[in-house]
Amino acid sequence: MVRLLAAHGIQLDFPPVQTCCGQPSYNSGYWDETRTAARTILKAFQSSDFVVSPSGSCTYMIHHYPELFKDEPEYLTLAHELESKTYEFTQFLVKVLGITDIGAAFPYKVTYHPSCHGSRLLGIKDEPIALLNHVQGLELVPLPFAEDCCGFGGTFAVKMADISGAMVNEKVDHIKETEAEVLVGLDMACLMNIAGNLRHRGEQVRVMHLAELLYEGVNIR
Amino acid sequence: MNNKDTSHDPSFSTKPLVVPNPESSHLTPDHEQTISSQSDWLYELEQKSKAKQQTFMNHIADRLQRPRIQEAPLHPFRGAPEVWQDFNWDEAEKIEKFTKHFTEVGGNVLRMQTLEEAGAFIAEQSCLLNARYIVRQQLPETEALTLEQRLPNVQISAWNSNPEEAWKARAAEADIGIVLADGAAAYTGTVMVTSSASQGRSVSLLPTVCIVLLPIERLRTRLGELLIPWDQKGKEQLPAGIHFISGPSRSSDIENELTIGVHGPGIVYTLLIG
Amino acid sequence: MNPASSTRGTVKERADIALNDDFLRNAVRFTTDRLRSGKKVASTEHGNWEEWRERGRQIRLHTIAHLDYYLNLFVENARSQGVHVHFADNAVEATDIVMTIARHKEAQSVIKSKSMVSEEVHINQALELSGIEAIESDLGEYIIQLAGEGPSHIVIPAIHKNRYQIAELLSEDAGETLEPDTTILAGYVRRKLRQKFLEADIGMTGCNFAIAETGSMVLFENEGNARMVTTVPKTQITLMGMERIVPSWADLEVMATLLPRSATGQRLTMYMSGISGPKRTTDADGPEEMHIIIVDNGRSQQLGDPEFQELLNCIRCGACLNVCPVYRQIGGHSYGGTYSGPIGAVLTPALNKNVAEWDDIASASSLCGACYEACPVKIPLHDMLVSLRRRKVERGHGDKLEAIGMKGFATLMANSKRFALAMRLGKIAQKPLVHNKGITLKLGPLKGWNTYRVAPILADHSFRDQWKELSAETTAQPTTIDPAVQKRMEQVLADRQKGKHTSRTGGVSHE
Repeated sequence: MVRLLAAHGIQLDFPPVQTCCGQPSYNSGYWDETRTAARTILKAFQSSDFVVSPSGSCTYMIHHYPELFKDEPEYLTLAHELESKTYEFTQFLVKVLGITDIGAAFPYKVTYHPSCHGSRLLGIKDEPIALLNHVQGLELVPLPFAEDCCGFGGTFAVKMADISGAMVNEKVDHIKETEAEVLVGLDMACLMNIAGNLRHRGEQVRVMHLAELLYEGVNIR
Repeated sequence: MNNKDTSHDPSFSTKPLVVPNPESSHLTPDHEQTISSQSDWLYELEQKSKAKQQTFMNHIADRLQRPRIQEAPLHPFRGAPEVWQDFNWDEAEKIEKFTKHFTEVGGNVLRMQTLEEAGAFIAEQSCLLNARYIVRQQLPETEALTLEQRLPNVQISAWNSNPEEAWKARAAEADIGIVLADGAAAYTGTVMVTSSASQGRSVSLLPTVCIVLLPIERLRTRLGELLIPWDQKGKEQLPAGIHFISGPSRSSDIENELTIGVHGPGIVYTLLIG
Repeated sequence: MNPASSTRGTVKERADIALNDDFLRNAVRFTTDRLRSGKKVASTEHGNWEEWRERGRQIRLHTIAHLDYYLNLFVENARSQGVHVHFADNAVEATDIVMTIARHKEAQSVIKSKSMVSEEVHINQALELSGIEAIESDLGEYIIQLAGEGPSHIVIPAIHKNRYQIAELLSEDAGETLEPDTTILAGYVRRKLRQKFLEADIGMTGCNFAIAETGSMVLFENEGNARMVTTVPKTQITLMGMERIVPSWADLEVMATLLPRSATGQRLTMYMSGISGPKRTTDADGPEEMHIIIVDNGRSQQLGDPEFQELLNCIRCGACLNVCPVYRQIGGHSYGGTYSGPIGAVLTPALNKNVAEWDDIASASSLCGACYEACPVKIPLHDMLVSLRRRKVERGHGDKLEAIGMKGFATLMANSKRFALAMRLGKIAQKPLVHNKGITLKLGPLKGWNTYRVAPILADHSFRDQWKELSAETTAQPTTIDPAVQKRMEQVLADRQKGKHTSRTGGVSHE
């Protein structure tokens, strides 16, 4: 992602004080602990104009910050600011920079899994498809029941392991139906979950983040 | 009992205001005094309920952290989105769409020029089905079908409130029930039937076959056109039962497999008259 | 019958049973696929769905926010229509009122149409205990009543039963062997219940909506049994959740558009009935006496609670069940209460004050948000689940080990240097577990994960480690930015200053 954006003249900075957006603890109901992590994020990006993240769920988590810090005025201001300037990677490329053709070539059969937070709660539906459609040689096959959750859900995958396992099993069944060589997505959490199951089942499908795919596609040319 | 005059209101009929019976506990302002001793327990429950009502509503207001609201609040989002009011089909399209929607779910729609034609059709169907018993609403329109003349061997009852008749049993035995629609909506493929002394709810419910007579001028586009007038009429004018029928009775409760005619009529005809 | 067995154990235990029941899972999948695609077709055909959803939401929000006014108006108007109105704070009171009426009517049988509230207050059990026959007339409900089970789906209660099981149940009921053919089985139920309708002393219904301005109640159904129950018996008792109000018939049009399309993909259910009081004196059918019991049972608890008041918007369409990836795998009985699926996962703990008993239900969700997206009145169920989890932790019912883990998480995440160090240590610690670039050990917290997957390993060079070189690499020969792109970015900044820009490019929001 860093290299892709650099190639278009965007120099990314990585403020090291950031740790984690706090989603795991937030979703499990531990909001004090979440605030501890979140404060590092708020501090890290105070002076940034644009904040880009390769994860839809982390980006969405930031939208919860105003609620989390409603009783802390200083952080609340930072929270509102951060909310308005944070973008998921494909949102940034397509909606802010206006780039849909990144000049990549990737001659493989690819299927796309839209991550839940990104697609439903941030509204990222067209951007990744637009980017994929402009990749030369790429055959995009629709994934049956694409919008169904892969079963990760953070601590859900551990706490309700059997239900989560059943969900990821079904997701991989659908991926197999497409006979795609590559599964592409926007969220490492989902991808890690799906990849883990593919490996467990001895499947050869390659799992890539869209940024990875585009980067490889640019370097293939 | 009361023969309804349907000629002046094309959208749907108005019911005469019912004369209250001193033995029944409704529609008289001072009904509490008229309840017989047999209903003392009802009166007691009523008193309890009225007391509880205040607590119940006060509790709601308390939870909402404000005093009780006594005046009607402003309701800026009342009803369907404004643009929806402009959605209207012309007669040809209303007929086409109504037919399409009603038949899609298993109903039948036929056009008849006159009630005489409808009568002939019903008589024909009756013979085909070997019907022995027909029940119809007691209205001029259903009279005009002249079924009694056409089917001398079939028992035909005209619903009325004669207490000697076990009307529900009559309807339950009937093979065919014939009703007049008070209105219809093409958008959802729905006919509206209301209850009254001469229009039993059972007529469109208990028999195996239901035939609905729908004068074309009563066919509207949107469901709202049938609903909103009930707001406007005022609550005293409402019949006890207002029924919107959009096809035959059905269920998919067994392995998702569709079955028609579970409790209500499995065969429904709407005859568009005019 | 009260399916007490379905409430025992934890959600995990119940889910385990379901996960091993292939027939159930296939049945759930088939049903939800059918209903989900039906909804898609119906909502697309109607068009402007998002606008209608918002309208539905506003009507419900408005009504709930002014519930004391509208409910009171309904009660007054219903009374003027001749209805006897009663109030029940809880299940016990509701049952008491029903029993009082039944006693005075010397009722021997009560025939019921579908009512989730009646299941919530366990009315059948109370009636049976008093020797009064309680008969469900909805085909699916009749089947599960014979089986002694609760519903597994809000709209289609018996999907967990196959035709052979149903044939067996009905054959036993009939005293003769019935073929496992849908038409035959449904035909039997029609004949059997016909008699029951005509003989029953009391007809009992639920209530989909109650129209405040005219005191009318509205029922949606496809079979015709609710019409039977409100037409044939001499006495009618309706159980109504206190939040089921809409102000007017005009508002009903919106609900009548959203509900059937969301529930089953129909333009309208085969029957929609507006009942305004008992029969008029000169009517020859319809109930002579009509009662409406308004039930609270935890609903008023949600009022004034900013995180849960919207829960009362629910119109019980079941659309959330049909899209839930968790429900799809575990079915309705796993949820343990009257209501299942996403709405059940929130409603059951919210209505019951016994939070500790019910809130493990809130853990059975990956928070994917599909329920919120599907809900015709836009209830943020995914947010409510997190709220339930948070309240559980706050009340001290959280899992002790998890709490310790979270404290550790916070300590780690408080300081980036600490975090980086921990990652480095982790890389070393994982070495004995790593095998072929993955971890397959099924021990402790890894057991759940690794039963279905190979766990990833911490990268040799984390992003943080690489940053210095990466940064140097990209700044070494900087590409000039395309002026069009530069302009766009500047425009975004300008819009932001004016408060016009939002980083959310769409998606469902509910501010």
